[in-house]
Amino acid sequence: MLEILIHGAVSSAIYAMLAVGFTLIFGVARVLNLAHGSFYALGAYGTFVLTTHLKMPLLPAALLAVAFVAAFGVVVERVFVRPMRRSQLGVLMITLAVALVIEQALFLTFGSEYRNVPAFVDEKFTLGHVDVGGQRLLALGVGIVAIGALWLFIQYTRLGSAILAISQDPVAAGYMGIPSDRIFSIVMALSAALAALAGILAGPFLTVQPTMWLLPIVKAFAIVVVGGLGSIPGSILAALMLGYAETIVGYLISTSWTEIVSVAATLLMLVVRPAGFFGRRAAF
Amino acid sequence: MSLLEVEGLDKHFGGLYAVRDVSFSVAKGEIVGILGPNGAGKTTLYNLLTGFIAADRGRITFDGRDLRGLLPHRIARLGISRTFQLCRPFVGMTVLENVIVGALGTAGKNRAGLDSRARALLTSVGLAGKEQLAVDVLSYGDQRRLEIARALAAQPSLLLLDEPFAGLGSSEIADLATLIRRVHAEQGLTVMLIEHKLREFMRLVQRVIVLDFGEVIAHGTPDEVVRHPKVIEAYVGRGNEGFVERNDAA
Amino acid sequence: MVGKKLNLAGATVFVAFMALLPLVFDSRYLIGVLTVSAIYGIWAVSWDFMSGLTGRENFGHSLFIGVGAYTAGFLNTLLGVSGWWSLPAAMVVAVLFALLIGLPTLRLRGPYFALAMLSGAVIMQRLMLIFWEHTGGEEGIHGIEPLIRSQLVFYYFVLGTLVAVTALLLALARSHWGLVLRAIRGDEATCQAAGLNVTFYKIASLLISAACAGAGGAIYAHYQLQVSPQLFAVVTSITIITMVYVGGMASIYGPVGGAILLVLLTELLRNFGEWRLMIYSCALILILFFLPNGLIAPTWQRIRARLGRRR
Repeated sequence: MLEILIHGAVSSAIYAMLAVGFTLIFGVARVLNLAHGSFYALGAYGTFVLTTHLKMPLLPAALLAVAFVAAFGVVVERVFVRPMRRSQLGVLMITLAVALVIEQALFLTFGSEYRNVPAFVDEKFTLGHVDVGGQRLLALGVGIVAIGALWLFIQYTRLGSAILAISQDPVAAGYMGIPSDRIFSIVMALSAALAALAGILAGPFLTVQPTMWLLPIVKAFAIVVVGGLGSIPGSILAALMLGYAETIVGYLISTSWTEIVSVAATLLMLVVRPAGFFGRRAAF
Repeated sequence: MSLLEVEGLDKHFGGLYAVRDVSFSVAKGEIVGILGPNGAGKTTLYNLLTGFIAADRGRITFDGRDLRGLLPHRIARLGISRTFQLCRPFVGMTVLENVIVGALGTAGKNRAGLDSRARALLTSVGLAGKEQLAVDVLSYGDQRRLEIARALAAQPSLLLLDEPFAGLGSSEIADLATLIRRVHAEQGLTVMLIEHKLREFMRLVQRVIVLDFGEVIAHGTPDEVVRHPKVIEAYVGRGNEGFVERNDAA
Repeated sequence: MVGKKLNLAGATVFVAFMALLPLVFDSRYLIGVLTVSAIYGIWAVSWDFMSGLTGRENFGHSLFIGVGAYTAGFLNTLLGVSGWWSLPAAMVVAVLFALLIGLPTLRLRGPYFALAMLSGAVIMQRLMLIFWEHTGGEEGIHGIEPLIRSQLVFYYFVLGTLVAVTALLLALARSHWGLVLRAIRGDEATCQAAGLNVTFYKIASLLISAACAGAGGAIYAHYQLQVSPQLFAVVTSITIITMVYVGGMASIYGPVGGAILLVLLTELLRNFGEWRLMIYSCALILILFFLPNGLIAPTWQRIRARLGRRR
């Protein structure tokens, strides 16, 4: 029971980091970025390269990887997404194509075997009667801190208000002199950074291989749909639900069924309540 | 003989009433106008009548049939056609194709002759010769005519027009009004008309229903309604009742 | 009317060309490539009919392909059913899946429908792996009997099916049905206000698309003699969408050329080994940027215009 509680929390934290970034860029720019999973992958692979090949110590390597992926996210937004902005499906296609290119690049560079991203914390801790990897606990902690920081940032800073304004009414925000294009880039950077962070924290205990981008994006989409597109609290709530649902299914039935949970949840939500829990824009 | 009967219609969004206890009836062959300041609930009323939103309370009876719970395409097939405030042509298709699609929904098994019927309609609204044009190159006035042709293609018995004069110049408005009068006379069509351009509106309609904040505040002939104190208050504000009198004298 | 005759002439020339190629170049390899490209053509044309016309891009077309292929595989290896029965069976199963996923998701806006279909395909792929004891897992099903033993005759069968499917879907697209689908792309609410049951048209076109794709999947199973979960992969759906983009969205006939071109490209890229998918994905990006209207259909329209003027 306690195991489920803890592992569910860890999963939820990782998913929340992925989903919040995904919903943020959608809420602000109406972009469903299918390359979001690639940011997750690049975070993990980036850290792997910096620590294994460049022999950097872990913390600076992680920070550098996050910064790199954030910058990369901005490049993707400027070069690929912006020209396609007039068509939502065009954006879907181009981001998917970018994700495929990145997957192939990773495959060609690193091969398809699982890679090893070093963990920050190697020891195991014992909470109650449960043994938990320290890395998992770290992921949970960092996740909470990161999302909390993002939430505070949006609520209490000028930039955060600008982001909220654009997500509610881009045209009006433009009239108020808010530079939407620049804000899109900033939000994309934040979104990519969060995804990369998730990849770095989860890398040590989840698989790291070139196709690792697909399932996270499917799950992020599931969470965002269930929670309501554009709603950060919704994403957090849905991430919790999904994380725990998967963990419970994993314990009670089998781990191979866990992936289906999220996809089934998406379909179910889309059928029952397309706006999600807190969504302002319905899927209609 | 009333074609449309609305009783006690209610619709609210969140805490706000968009339409509140609205009741009226429209007889066959009438041209009825709907007036009201912006936000009065006029377009919501149309959405309720055509089934795009469901009423919270009340009854809508059309030609003896209860419209409650029917999907929009069912209601259209029963004989209610509408135009929209902003022209919504089928982009990426030609003018002729637009009208043919407008006719398809109600054509049933009768698919033959749609092409010629569509062409005849286009001629009657003054778009002859423009059949093969893509809709995006049409002027706004022509797009309006296309909207009407498309709505008429469904062979309605009740036509709901939503601000058909919006965005048109005065000669275009006169032309469109003539078209509406002609269609009404020739086909015995019952017409409901939401409009803000009062001059043509008053000359076109036989009876007026005035909405404000979702409620019916007046109904009667155009002359009666325009002098009604509540209507003046709704448009011009309280304390300005003398406004209309003064302007009439001038 | 001249346009129609030219279209017919062009189609005849094309089909004759495709039919004669293997007779001129007696190569098993070539026949193989042509057969695969014809099967992809069936998949691409079926996708274009639904998604190209209505604008509701379906990112999970591989779902219908996969269930068609697996149905054929199961029927043949477990029940010993001949391939000729598995074709209609595959169509039925594909249609059932289309109903299952399509009914709830078609009322959703574009990107949501696309991703919902993608999710459906991902689920099926997972399920095939989870129940590996019954489905053969990663390896899939092996030892399926070929539909027709002669490679050449099989090719002509597939070519004939492609022509039939394209002709049928083209006829539908040119009819009132196609008009309605294109109007749905323009403005759904207005279609409803005109009395059209939009949901019916969307579902019906998805079912037709699924049936054709499923049939193609069954043919594929009886050609490759094996099926694997890879058929459900995102890559399959994306490849087909690329073929349609290259061919020309909503043209119905364009994707045939797109399929052939891209299969040829894949074969030519075989020398690049592992780089194949990378080049493919980059090509997709370039196509999205520079060929929004495609290559095949616009080219044919230009040829037709020139020929029309000469007369």
